[in-house]
Amino acid sequence: MTAPSLAAPAPAKGASLIAPDARTRRRNASERRFRLLGLSAVGLGLLALVVLLTSVLGNGLSAFRQTWITVPVTLDAALLDKEGNRNPEEMRQVTTLGYGKLLEAALIAALAEKGIATDALSEKEVTGLLSKEAAADLRTAVLADPSLVGQTLTFRALATSRIDGYFKGRVTRESAARDANVTPAQLDLADRMAAAGLIGTQGNAGFLTRPDASELRPEAAGLGVAILGSAYMMVVVLVLSLPIGVAASIYLEELAPRNRWTDLIEINIANLAAVPSIVYGILALALFINILGLPQSAPLVGGLVLTLMTLPTIIIATRASLKAVPPSIRDAALGVGASKMQAIFHHVLPLAMPGILTGTILGLARALGESAPLLLIGMVAFVRDFPGAPPQGLLDPAAALPVQVYSWTQRADPAFVERASGAIIVLLAFLLAMNALAIILRRRFERRW
Amino acid sequence: MNDMRLTERVVTETAKMTARGVQVHYGTNHALKDVDVDILDKTVTAFIGPSGCGKSTFLRCLNRMNDTVASARVTGRIEMDGQDIYDPRVDPVQLRAKVGMVFQKPNPFPKSIYENVAYGPKIHGLARSKADLDEIVETSLRKAALWNEVKDRLTAPGTGLSGGQQQRLCIARAVATSPEVLLMDEPCSALDPIATAQVEELIDELRAQFSVVIVTHSMQQAARVSQRTAFFHLGSLVEYGETGHIFTNPTDPRTEAYITGRIG
Repeated sequence: MTAPSLAAPAPAKGASLIAPDARTRRRNASERRFRLLGLSAVGLGLLALVVLLTSVLGNGLSAFRQTWITVPVTLDAALLDKEGNRNPEEMRQVTTLGYGKLLEAALIAALAEKGIATDALSEKEVTGLLSKEAAADLRTAVLADPSLVGQTLTFRALATSRIDGYFKGRVTRESAARDANVTPAQLDLADRMAAAGLIGTQGNAGFLTRPDASELRPEAAGLGVAILGSAYMMVVVLVLSLPIGVAASIYLEELAPRNRWTDLIEINIANLAAVPSIVYGILALALFINILGLPQSAPLVGGLVLTLMTLPTIIIATRASLKAVPPSIRDAALGVGASKMQAIFHHVLPLAMPGILTGTILGLARALGESAPLLLIGMVAFVRDFPGAPPQGLLDPAAALPVQVYSWTQRADPAFVERASGAIIVLLAFLLAMNALAIILRRRFERRW
Repeated sequence: MNDMRLTERVVTETAKMTARGVQVHYGTNHALKDVDVDILDKTVTAFIGPSGCGKSTFLRCLNRMNDTVASARVTGRIEMDGQDIYDPRVDPVQLRAKVGMVFQKPNPFPKSIYENVAYGPKIHGLARSKADLDEIVETSLRKAALWNEVKDRLTAPGTGLSGGQQQRLCIARAVATSPEVLLMDEPCSALDPIATAQVEELIDELRAQFSVVIVTHSMQQAARVSQRTAFFHLGSLVEYGETGHIFTNPTDPRTEAYITGRIG
């Protein structure tokens, strides 16, 4: 008897089945090693995910809470509505400055009423607790409801970002001593106000609904314009890329003759999918803005460039799922006398639908997180006005979620780090929702049989 | 077994389809060489021969399914009732409504049993009302000897049936468009003996209404179901004639070698 391998002698005849021989032990050991390798790779991936989530959630969750100063404000009719007719058009003449004075007086009165000592602080330091945005909020509230004039309103005013940071642990007395924007005495005052229930941290829906704010007012910055801009762009991408992508795929996969030209097209689509996204941004800048003259920062232009970027992904996914439909279904349809179009639309396309939808939504998710091409078409601009309703609003300037993250991380105030992390949480939530939708749709379409 | 019931072969002599000098090339591969065959009306014609001999290729010429293969090139002349089916004015869609096809592997649509059968009549506008359609579905399923098994679950998916039932569903689907010729490409190769027997019985019944052309690997099957047999070898038609004649007294030595199991 010859040994099958030089390394180990073959088991002798009559060797025990219970005790494994050297070859078997080596094979088992190598399988165990491979399992361990795979397991550690998965573990590493999970660890990276956990680190990412902890960091983002740890930094960003506090963006959904905000420090508010709650004071009763008497809206003096003589000051706010000189004509006394409650006409919002005329009341507009009172600027934010006027409301600011009202608010500051209300704060000082409230402190005096609660018996909180402010001797160590100048009046400017006391009113410095209020955000500059608070007066604007008060004005907006009054103009929206003129009947408030003359009444005493319990108003929730934003505190400045330093005071907000103090309640969130970002600002300490040591850092305040070195900070030109806040003094330790102000922090002491905030502590006394908190004990009296005048100041506290509460939920901040404004983070999702407010527009961006200037560098000096991080407490007022929100994602409203960015969310709306991103939503507009996703609608444009969906409306353009799904029909174009599916039509192109059906033509290439089912109808086009196989020749050098279609091969060339196929290779180029694969190449386009790999083109860096910033290159699409340059293309969009040249084509849509410089040649076609479309406005900068517009969701329509953003949607167009993201469509260009998403199309190859959708075409590749759609072609793959069309290819996966068994040819016997096409034969069956053609065999009973269906035309090519009928075979495709009645039988092939419904079967390919789950794959097409998955590809589309994954493409959309990628487009939603894309920032580089949007930077080039001007969506990084500071936009405080909400875009109008579509279709006209598609041409209004807007921001986008990933670009908002980018521009907030550029700003100096550490409060914007919290905002940027919060924006990342919102972005991730949208991405998760889209992927969940992809899974649900795929399940539903597959369950047809 | 009634393998060789070679008597009682009543054969009409009117040709439904005639093929003259048919050649098929797949790219540079000459798959079918100069085939002349008459498919008779209301007759079962069997194509036999070893794998790769061109019998399925020829079958797919008869309803122009080869059109879907980009590299296939068909020359020669195939007529149906005296009309050239390869005439440029012929729409293959109309031809395929007249020449139905059943494939080797059962391939029901992933839809309900009802939808499977109703699809052909729907796209060809054969039913004017829902009641019409219901009737077509029922008669087609009856013709395919499937009605009694599925009448209570017409809305169940066709893919949920057993293999033999699926193949009979495919036959019902082909029958529903009232074809004049039914092509069957090894319809029993994926079926067990019982299902095979059911399908064979069915083929014999369908002969009363139209021509059936069946490609088969099984010589017993050819002998059992057909009145006419064509033997293909290496892309050529070797011998074509009455089934009894082919099996008992072949003229070509290659036919004899094949049916006695020496080639193939």
